[in-house]
Amino acid sequence: MNMYCKRALLTLLLGCLFVTIFAQDRTKIKFGKIDKSEFALGRFEKDTGAHAIVLSAIGSSTFESDGAELRLVYKVHRRIKIVDKNGYDLATVKVWLYKDGSEEEKLSNVKAAAYNLENGEIVETKIDSKSIFTDKQSKNIVTKKFAIPAVKEGTIIEYTYTISSPYYQYLRSWEFQGEYPALWSEYTVTIPEYFDYVFINQGYEKFVIQTKESSIGHFTLRGEKEAAYGKTSEIFSVSPGITTYKWALKDVPPIRDESFITTTDNYTRKIEFQLSAYNWPGQPSKPVRTTWAKLMEDLQKSESFGKQLTNNNNFLSDKVSELTKDTKSDKEKAEKIYVWVRDNYTCTDHTALWCEGDRTLKTLFNSKSGNVAEINLLLIAMLKKAGLEAYPVILSTRDNGYVYPYYPLLSRFNYTIAAVMTDGELTRLDASRPLLGFGRLPASCYNGDARVVDEQGTVMPLATDSLKEQKFTSVFISKIADGNIEGSFQQRPTYFESYRIRQEIKEKSQDEYFKKIVKGYTSEISLSEKEIEGLTDLGNPLMVKYSFKLNAGNSDVLYINPLFGEAYKHNPFKSMERSFPVEMEAVYDEVYSLNLEIPEGYVVDEMPKPAIAKYNEEEGLFQYLIQQQQDHIQLRCRVKLTKANFQPEEYASLREFFDLIVKKQAEQIVLKKKSKA
Amino acid sequence: MMKFLQPTAILLLTAFSLPASAGDPVYPVCAIPAALKENAHVVKRTEEYTVDIRDLRDVRVTKHYVYTVLDAAGADDAIMLEYYGKLREIRSVEGILYDADGKQVKRMKQADVKDLSAVDNGSLMTDTRKKFHSFFHSVYPFTVEYRVEIRYNCTNQLPVWVPQEEYDCTVQQSSLTVTAPAGFELRYHTYLYNGEPATSSDKGIKTYIWQVKDIPAMKKEAFAEEFYKRTPSVFLAPGEFEIEDYKGRMNTWKDFGNFIYHLNQGRDVLPDNIKQKVHQLTDALPAREDKINSLYKYMQQNYRYISIQLGIGGWQTFDATTVAAKGYGDCKALSNFMMAMLKEAGISSNCVLVKSGDGVTSLREDFPSPQFDHEILCIPGAKDTMWLECTSNTLPVGYLSAFTANRPVLVIDSAASKLVRTPDYNMDYNLQQTSITATIDEAGNIHVNSHTMRTGMQQDGLHERLHTLSEEKQLEELREGLDLASYDIVSHKYKEEPGIKPAIEEQLEINGHNYATVTGKRMFVAPNILNRNSLRLEEETARKSPIRFNHAYRDIDTVKITVPAGYRLESLPAPVSLKNQFGVYTAVTEMKGNTISYIRKIEHKAGTFPVTDFADLVKFYNTIYRSDRNRLVLVKE
Repeated sequence: MNMYCKRALLTLLLGCLFVTIFAQDRTKIKFGKIDKSEFALGRFEKDTGAHAIVLSAIGSSTFESDGAELRLVYKVHRRIKIVDKNGYDLATVKVWLYKDGSEEEKLSNVKAAAYNLENGEIVETKIDSKSIFTDKQSKNIVTKKFAIPAVKEGTIIEYTYTISSPYYQYLRSWEFQGEYPALWSEYTVTIPEYFDYVFINQGYEKFVIQTKESSIGHFTLRGEKEAAYGKTSEIFSVSPGITTYKWALKDVPPIRDESFITTTDNYTRKIEFQLSAYNWPGQPSKPVRTTWAKLMEDLQKSESFGKQLTNNNNFLSDKVSELTKDTKSDKEKAEKIYVWVRDNYTCTDHTALWCEGDRTLKTLFNSKSGNVAEINLLLIAMLKKAGLEAYPVILSTRDNGYVYPYYPLLSRFNYTIAAVMTDGELTRLDASRPLLGFGRLPASCYNGDARVVDEQGTVMPLATDSLKEQKFTSVFISKIADGNIEGSFQQRPTYFESYRIRQEIKEKSQDEYFKKIVKGYTSEISLSEKEIEGLTDLGNPLMVKYSFKLNAGNSDVLYINPLFGEAYKHNPFKSMERSFPVEMEAVYDEVYSLNLEIPEGYVVDEMPKPAIAKYNEEEGLFQYLIQQQQDHIQLRCRVKLTKANFQPEEYASLREFFDLIVKKQAEQIVLKKKSKA
Repeated sequence: MMKFLQPTAILLLTAFSLPASAGDPVYPVCAIPAALKENAHVVKRTEEYTVDIRDLRDVRVTKHYVYTVLDAAGADDAIMLEYYGKLREIRSVEGILYDADGKQVKRMKQADVKDLSAVDNGSLMTDTRKKFHSFFHSVYPFTVEYRVEIRYNCTNQLPVWVPQEEYDCTVQQSSLTVTAPAGFELRYHTYLYNGEPATSSDKGIKTYIWQVKDIPAMKKEAFAEEFYKRTPSVFLAPGEFEIEDYKGRMNTWKDFGNFIYHLNQGRDVLPDNIKQKVHQLTDALPAREDKINSLYKYMQQNYRYISIQLGIGGWQTFDATTVAAKGYGDCKALSNFMMAMLKEAGISSNCVLVKSGDGVTSLREDFPSPQFDHEILCIPGAKDTMWLECTSNTLPVGYLSAFTANRPVLVIDSAASKLVRTPDYNMDYNLQQTSITATIDEAGNIHVNSHTMRTGMQQDGLHERLHTLSEEKQLEELREGLDLASYDIVSHKYKEEPGIKPAIEEQLEINGHNYATVTGKRMFVAPNILNRNSLRLEEETARKSPIRFNHAYRDIDTVKITVPAGYRLESLPAPVSLKNQFGVYTAVTEMKGNTISYIRKIEHKAGTFPVTDFADLVKFYNTIYRSDRNRLVLVKE
């Protein structure tokens, strides 16, 4: 798969060749030192679309002493050419800072300027410090923001700032690739021997610089020391070995979004870090999450995660006994508890791995709202209280990108669900969505391997290729008379489609849902005996039923599309080309059947021919089996795929396959009135 | 009835004014009349909204309301959400949750009130923040009660009372009580409120009370008027008012406009370098119009829209010097700056306040009050007034777009501010003319050459696309946006003709796969290839709102399709011709030899039409919908 992507991206790269007028290494550029030649840079040769070009993006993360402690210091320096008005947004800069308790990240050394070429001279306009705004988003997050002055088409903007952070576990990642092309993107990370980090690289563009150098650093710190009269504060110096890593990319093409994709983040060139050990002098190395087992141990011990489950949680006892009072099996117990949590708690944030801030399950239990992790942790705590074997499971949702398989990188996870063991069977649960059934997960969770938070961090596969979504539709045409076609319609949609219908009905009403169906037909239609079965049986797909009377016009010739609105009217794969794999939500299998009674006085003048088409041997099947038996026409039409993911080079044939489906499904049955002899 | 204690110390958490302990049930769900449960997800049980105008810089607003949430669809409404900032302070919030029987379940904790930034996406910075609370209860039905105290330290903007807040929210009872010193001139404007408020006077304080009972759920209606016109509502405005250190009057548009003028007076002083720039750009140009063009272009190229609204900054502009230094500003700042440049060039202009938007918005013209959210510029001329949208970097000079055209606006002047109308872009202005030649092959594939000319508002969307999207993105949208089953864009070309009536010419070459359906010996062809109207309407029984269309337009489509030789016509769509108060629609299909010709025309009028015309509108749209999908049936000989 990787090889395929590489080829696709290479094409993209070739498509974006541009005039490079810079020296190889932009490392030495200084703030404010702009060369006139940088203004001469125009648009990309073949990518006239770039609204801005990143001339250079240079970042570094180092450790520095603030006189007492080591701080993780992140510096960024960006220089961007604004090509046209649609690049103006880049001149509004927002910096997100985190804080909790008494500790916080601090922003300093903000410098920003715009450079314009006026009468052959470079005119610099700087930002004043009063124009930097502070917007407190919430308890833990503050944004600092500013708009760079004097920006027009052709302006070069430049800014730099420094963030000093007490959070060693959060060494900022670097994206070498983004929405705009970059001539130079570089990141330097300097790490003293006190810390080990694991580096995770992804993407396909080649680094032009990738170096590692060792040296000695000097820090002055303040520490506490046991003295005769108790603890005293003492200033001391240390000279640890430090290692400097540097990566740089040159002429980086932009990343463009496509439909049917998890997220383009999966294909962006970037580097991420995870703290793996503290090596304090004179102490044995203290590993941090170097193995899945260690990560799980940390999670289990964390106040915001596992501790919530190992606490006594006596406040749950009454509720749990009330819920499980009359239950006969473990499964019934689990289901009772699941339903209660799901129906009583409101999820306010569907992106969360653990409890927010210092919140506990008890606060959640009373406040009735929380993030997805909190709600599912509460569910697990209650299942455990009922004596069941239950675990948290962590995963990354589709829009968050794939989990890194080779190393326990916690930052890649963004969602916590629950798993309960009953009768030797593990059931996956998500109580954060009111319309989800017992044992069901939302589609966004199917994104490869999840990890059970047990001793080993057992893999729980959640591949889309394993998720089968079936849909059955059957239509009976019982009467055609006076220009009206009468019949009945029955459909069992896929589970996710059923979920969406339930949601729609909850938000609007069943009436509105059927009104939409009526609007979906081009001809005049009236529905009766409208019914939706299984609306409250949330674990299973529902069943939509109605009878219809469709106006077909009163003429001697009747043209009938036997798919009755269930045809693919548009090819879902619209674009001609494809750079990234096609990643669908599930593996689809759709079966449609029709039984039509030929009305008295009519004969079949014409009927579509049966057809079967295969896609890539066994990977896709399109059946269109139609036959006339005496006064009946029967059609069985099936669209079936056996996998959910397709490589870019399979795209053209996939698109053709669907073209064929669209074409065949548009064909008509023609009935003619018998001429009276 | 409940009694309220006036809390003496706001910060004292124990000074509850909502009932302090769980006593008798107060709001049992069973007490809701059946009629108010119909089509409702939320019932406002009671509301006391009080506005106590103590002086021009001290207005105390108390909102006390009780909602019963009947089911999950109403859950989002049972919350407390209030905005605050420099001109408005939230002094206290209290809340109680009750179960279906009306028994108290719990009280809100102050720690559970979230304090969040309310800076909108369109702004770099504002000083608006919000406080939010919800019990997140999900055992239905349940009831919540909130009491919020707010202090406004200005009188330029007074509260609005719309007791019914959502379509699916019914109201058992609600009242608005306004108290003000006898000398305070309170003006009000109501919709669907019968009669006058009850008034009384006591010790120099005048009291006004409005109340409503038993408001049923409202239905959504297509092309309806604004929500607040369809339910009882009261808008308040002062005569005399204060904001920060400024005093003004708004009894008339003239007074209000003049106040805005004086608030911003003296902010149009340009720095010397810009003055020089203005002369450099305009001195050599003899015609006034050329000077305007040149300055507008200069502004579009060198200044951009950035919104910063702090305190009185919502009403008072950044001065021209600041805009010159920063190269950016909001609508007020950029209009003011443009006005200053024009002045330097000897051309006088006025700032203009607008209620913006291309949807249904209307100004309460007979109720002078701050109803605006945008500012543009007008340059009065001997013949015509010229209008400038100063926040756009791309609009042609003098063209306003659907965002601000066709509406009353307030021209700001030192002494003669007044309401006038922006240009009325009519049907001749908003034109789309398409001519298509196409060929269909034996397999049903179609090759299309289309040429379209769009003018006025019909080109607004395309103008936006051409100026904000890269060519790659434009192509991507074209590849996905047409209503064809499967197709490829072979080529696309655009030509813009900017001007007071801007035009964009579009040329497309398209390959449509399997456009015509071929079944055996028959071929089905829809002659309307690219302009099928997708809107259908349902009959609305007991419709209440008049019908509103803001903009008129005309479409003319001419299509010629060549089909393979050897096909004979089996069925031809009958010509459609419809004319009523909403406009005209005609579609005629003909076939000669192996060429199909199709001519379609829509003229859609703008205006307000009575409720009773709705059946005609349904007919108008549904006829178009069906006719646009008509097909010819051809049979191979």
